[in-house]
Amino acid sequence: MSLKLNEEAQSALIDLGESRGIFIEGNILKLFDASEDAFKTYIDTALEKDAERRKKRLEITKQVQDKNKELQEKANENETLMAELKEALKVAEDAKEAALSDLDVMQKKSQFQLIGSIVSYALWVIVGTGLITTFMYAMAIYWGSTETTLIGNTWSNLFGILLTNSFSIIGTIMGVKYANKDDDKE
Amino acid sequence: MIDSILLVDDEDLFHIVFDDACSLLDISLSLEGIYSSDEAEGRAIEWADNPLNKPDCVFVDLNIIGSSFDGIELIRRVNHKYGNGVVIGIISSSFNEEEILKAEEVGAQFWIVKSDDIEPRLEEFKEDFEGYKDRTNPFKVYK
Repeated sequence: MSLKLNEEAQSALIDLGESRGIFIEGNILKLFDASEDAFKTYIDTALEKDAERRKKRLEITKQVQDKNKELQEKANENETLMAELKEALKVAEDAKEAALSDLDVMQKKSQFQLIGSIVSYALWVIVGTGLITTFMYAMAIYWGSTETTLIGNTWSNLFGILLTNSFSIIGTIMGVKYANKDDDKE
Repeated sequence: MIDSILLVDDEDLFHIVFDDACSLLDISLSLEGIYSSDEAEGRAIEWADNPLNKPDCVFVDLNIIGSSFDGIELIRRVNHKYGNGVVIGIISSSFNEEEILKAEEVGAQFWIVKSDDIEPRLEEFKEDFEGYKDRTNPFKVYK
């Protein structure tokens, strides 16, 4: 396939090239029939300019491609780093949560230990007092003391108070335990 | 010189590189670039009705982002489903032997490895083109 321009069109193109440096571009140049010398020179110049332009563009495009590749690699590296950071953050958060949970358990444990000790001492005191008073009352009856009525009333009052206090302590302990259970649920 | 080439590739910049390289090496007169294998399949269907629109050669990228299927599947469909006998092959930065074998099996005639210095491979391909056209050349990898 070949394109042939008339003389007028050829000279117009040649003039345009010479006066303003404007030339036809692209693969269409390869299709022109340039049998006349002047137009052949024009086509050769146009082809040369087109090739130069394409070479330059090709070079620049390749550079842009290289830069793009570099940017893509950097973006991938960043993505990997971000993923690693996220993972590390998650691990740290998990560790923090575990530590807080441990701390909470420890606090509750010491709280219960304290309550346990209080209960234990309180019970010993109650039982001890009860035993001593009972022993004293028994001794008073045994020795036929005249103060048995007074000791009996005292023993009875004391025992009543001790029992009331025991139930009060047990109630308080149950309340504390119940409240702690509610905290756990929350 | 190859009259017309169809390039199927998702990368814009490669369209420019390929166009300029083909022009500078006098490989083709006209080049059309499209960006997805779905669009390319549409063209292959169209060639059956309008054989004049059929290009002389089709270059297909292996992994075409934004497409429903890859380059090898496109070649399989063009060769086996639409059977229009166009010269077709892969142009890809990948050099995976398994993929190359798959491409050959579905009827790709060549595999050109894309890189910064693609011109010598295209020049070699240009010399071999007539052999692909008349189906006398075996499958070849340009690396």
